[in-house]
Amino acid sequence: MAQALQARIDAAFVEPACGVNRSKSDTQRRKGCAKALTPGAAAGGCAFDGAKIALQPIVDAAHLIHGALACEGNSWDNRSSASSGPTLYRTSFTTDLSELDIVMGHGEKKLFRAIREVIDRYSPPAVFVYSTCVPALVGDDIEAVCKAAAEKFGTPVIPVNAPGFVGSKNLGNKLAGQALLDHVIGTIEPERTTTTDINIVGDYNLSGELWQVKPLFDRLGIRILGSITGDARYRQVAMAHRARVTMLVCSKALVSLARQLEERYDIPWFEGSFYGISDTSQALRTLCRMLVERGASADLLPRCEALIAAEEARVRAALEPLRPRVAGRRVLLYTGGHKSWSVVSALQELGMEVVGTSMRKSTESDKDRVKTIMGDDSHMFENMAPKEMYQVLKSAGADVLMSGGRSQFVALKAKTPWVDVNQEKHKPYAGYAGMVKLVSAIDRAINNPMWAEIRDPAPWESRAAPGQVPSGRAASGDATDFEDC
Amino acid sequence: MPQSAEKVLDHAKLFQEPEYVEMFERKRAEFENAPPAPMVKEIGDWTKSWEYREKNLGREALCINPAKACQPLGAVFAGAGYEGSLSFVHGSQGCVAYYRSHLARHFKEPSSAVSSSMTEDAAVFGGLNNMIDGLANAYALYSPKMIAVSTTCMAEVIGDDLNSFILQAKEKGSVPQDFAVPYAHTPAFVGSHIDGYDNMQKGILETFWKDAKRVPGEGINIIPGFDGFAVGNIRELKRMLALMGVETTILSDVSDVYDTPSDGEFRMYAGGTSLDEVKGALNAKATVSMQEYCSRKTLEFCEEHGQATASFHYPLGVRATDEFLMAMTDLTGTTIPDSLKLERGRLVDALADSQSYLHGKTYAIFGDPDFVYAMARFLLETGGEPRHCLATNGGKAWEKQMRELLASSPFGKDCQVWAGKDLWALRSIMATEPVDLLIGNSHGKYLERDLGTPLIRLAFPIFDRHHHHRFPTWGYQGAINVLVKILDKIFDRLDAESGAPGQDISFDLTR
Repeated sequence: MAQALQARIDAAFVEPACGVNRSKSDTQRRKGCAKALTPGAAAGGCAFDGAKIALQPIVDAAHLIHGALACEGNSWDNRSSASSGPTLYRTSFTTDLSELDIVMGHGEKKLFRAIREVIDRYSPPAVFVYSTCVPALVGDDIEAVCKAAAEKFGTPVIPVNAPGFVGSKNLGNKLAGQALLDHVIGTIEPERTTTTDINIVGDYNLSGELWQVKPLFDRLGIRILGSITGDARYRQVAMAHRARVTMLVCSKALVSLARQLEERYDIPWFEGSFYGISDTSQALRTLCRMLVERGASADLLPRCEALIAAEEARVRAALEPLRPRVAGRRVLLYTGGHKSWSVVSALQELGMEVVGTSMRKSTESDKDRVKTIMGDDSHMFENMAPKEMYQVLKSAGADVLMSGGRSQFVALKAKTPWVDVNQEKHKPYAGYAGMVKLVSAIDRAINNPMWAEIRDPAPWESRAAPGQVPSGRAASGDATDFEDC
Repeated sequence: MPQSAEKVLDHAKLFQEPEYVEMFERKRAEFENAPPAPMVKEIGDWTKSWEYREKNLGREALCINPAKACQPLGAVFAGAGYEGSLSFVHGSQGCVAYYRSHLARHFKEPSSAVSSSMTEDAAVFGGLNNMIDGLANAYALYSPKMIAVSTTCMAEVIGDDLNSFILQAKEKGSVPQDFAVPYAHTPAFVGSHIDGYDNMQKGILETFWKDAKRVPGEGINIIPGFDGFAVGNIRELKRMLALMGVETTILSDVSDVYDTPSDGEFRMYAGGTSLDEVKGALNAKATVSMQEYCSRKTLEFCEEHGQATASFHYPLGVRATDEFLMAMTDLTGTTIPDSLKLERGRLVDALADSQSYLHGKTYAIFGDPDFVYAMARFLLETGGEPRHCLATNGGKAWEKQMRELLASSPFGKDCQVWAGKDLWALRSIMATEPVDLLIGNSHGKYLERDLGTPLIRLAFPIFDRHHHHRFPTWGYQGAINVLVKILDKIFDRLDAESGAPGQDISFDLTR
């Protein structure tokens, strides 16, 4: 591994703003955050994947993957991060390295030509070039190629050096954030700035989630200057250094980016969430308070409160008809990060009981919040192996599982309704309106008549002799990294 | 001219070329005396209003776009499913040409049937001579093993007596005395094709069971009923029952009749239930009908002969298949094999995997009574909401059964049952109370175009899509086929509604 890359990875793991990191001893910290993968056990995505999903929502840029076909061939257009305009980000660009390219060392030249072709045909505002395992192993210097190409073609060409073997998807997120800091942010000055310009960091506008919230900002006169990277244009990322406040949405992935924005450009940041009613309100409040502290007009605060009051009343009224359909139901939450607590309070408000929430990829403050909301930490768990989850669901410990796509089959095999709340979901649940969508999704999942068919014994089973009641098949296998934030 | 030998345009495109568009416009202006376009639009919109709907549903005399066919079609279909059987329709030959083309267009297979070609003189003097000559010619020309006689309206109006005619024809030597000529009176002005199917089946059993003594055995007779998916369904039925080890006789097995291979040989008579099997069917323990409304008289007849009977409504979906299979275990004492248990589990799994897309989708269904019942029942299982269930040939008894079914699930509470209504009524109904999806046959494509409601073709006739009849809709596996058809339509629509190229916001790769 190139030394520069190694240094960058090390840096990513000594993040001073990271609660987990702060709580570690010196020796623990030196070991880094990377969980050693267990060969033979199920594992999540790689660093390349993490880098790509973090940057792919920059919708007007070309994303060029340097490597053999599989990396891009298997992953292109696989996330529903929505764009309000350009669709270039959904077009797949790859150097498709062949055996001859690798043996003869043609990789760098091919990459250079590929960059030229992308720029010739599409004139993108920028090209992001991603390294993958093969060129990293044979030693292609993508940073040098990008530099040369940028000079030659007069278009920013950003190297994203996060080949898959360096580590996890989460590391890839971090490395992508670092690439933005090193090469993009601060390279373009906005034509005008306002006292209410903000950055949203760590939201990818999946299924249009950001758009659930953006109208609220518009009504408050708040402008999203820097978007990293939901529905982002390249210029929007490049101008992020002129924002007044940064709101960090997915803390685990891009906390370093937020911290460095503060260090380099004096932009204060806070961590907030748009999941759940009170959390959305809290995020808006904090945002407005910080903007006012940084010089925005003080009337922003009362306007914010008025907006919150009106929106909360509206969403509560909309949720009321759903209450009898979900009240009393028991939920097992398996997500991680901020979602581990931000959804809990909203569900509790509707009379649902949260029987457990996972703390994967959650920070210390995430954990504190769960304790506050749920009374103690007895409902918190780290990872839950599929087998264990199956048992909890099977023993009717929960009426519904809310998790990412990869746990859905555990739920289904345990004959339990399941609601997709992770990144691959197809409905936006953020903001006030999103909460109504989420609760109606829970309602639909729980109350679909199909569950009766799944749970009721088949007619021949109910006629079986006593003692011959068929037992459910236990799920097997174990996974440490089951899904990702 | 837009058409040239170098690049020959298909008619779908050719007549949209400017030359033709202009020609059509000129003709409209000069010869049609047509009302102005805005007025056509205005009236068109008005026909989608509640006001028009009330007038439309108030129709008493006029039937517009019926969703049913006439009795002899069902009789021809039922008669076709026996070994070496030729359907012979006593009456005018034009009717028979319709049945043949109807079946051929749906199954994409030749459909053999003859008529007694009655003309004006026969109408005046009676059709006896046509019967005598017709049977003789059909027997000589096509060497059938049995001739199944039904009637068109013409013969019914003049009151031809089939029983006596066939006896006289045999006396005159048209066919040998012991040659099987079952018959059924099938006037089109009574009932519909499902009644014709019933009458013909009964006629066939009467012929073969006459004077025979029943020695009760263990076998089970199954009457599949009139079914556009008969090829796939009967094969699926036989497969399931073979897995259970049930000894079955399919009464009218058209699965090989309407699915012959292309190997250079023309099979005028392919497959079908053998005549020995039909005779032996008398000894069966029970006769089971897959479609109640296709077999009421036939089942009564079987009961009179001492057989147990049971009937179902086109077993489609989890519960309906459960019921059918459990009834078979009750009748025969056999058990459900593991392979079928797995199939059930897979169907339930498929429903679970897709439930979020199916939940709350609203449907209009039209077709034969048993099919509409089955379809509504399956949709209720998926969390779908049937809103309009229409059977032109459905009566009061069906309406009552539908209401009971719909009352059994909260997903059925907003559904209206339209017995005896036609497709023009359905247009008004759907225009005023729209649904997400329409389930029916090819005739629904005009509703699809007119109202923009996607059509899923799951009932006879399907003229404009090919080979659907090869895939079963019955049983657990059949339900998966149906599920996939519904989901494909939902996903296609979702993609189509996600904006134009370049603004495809929710045009997702993964659903």
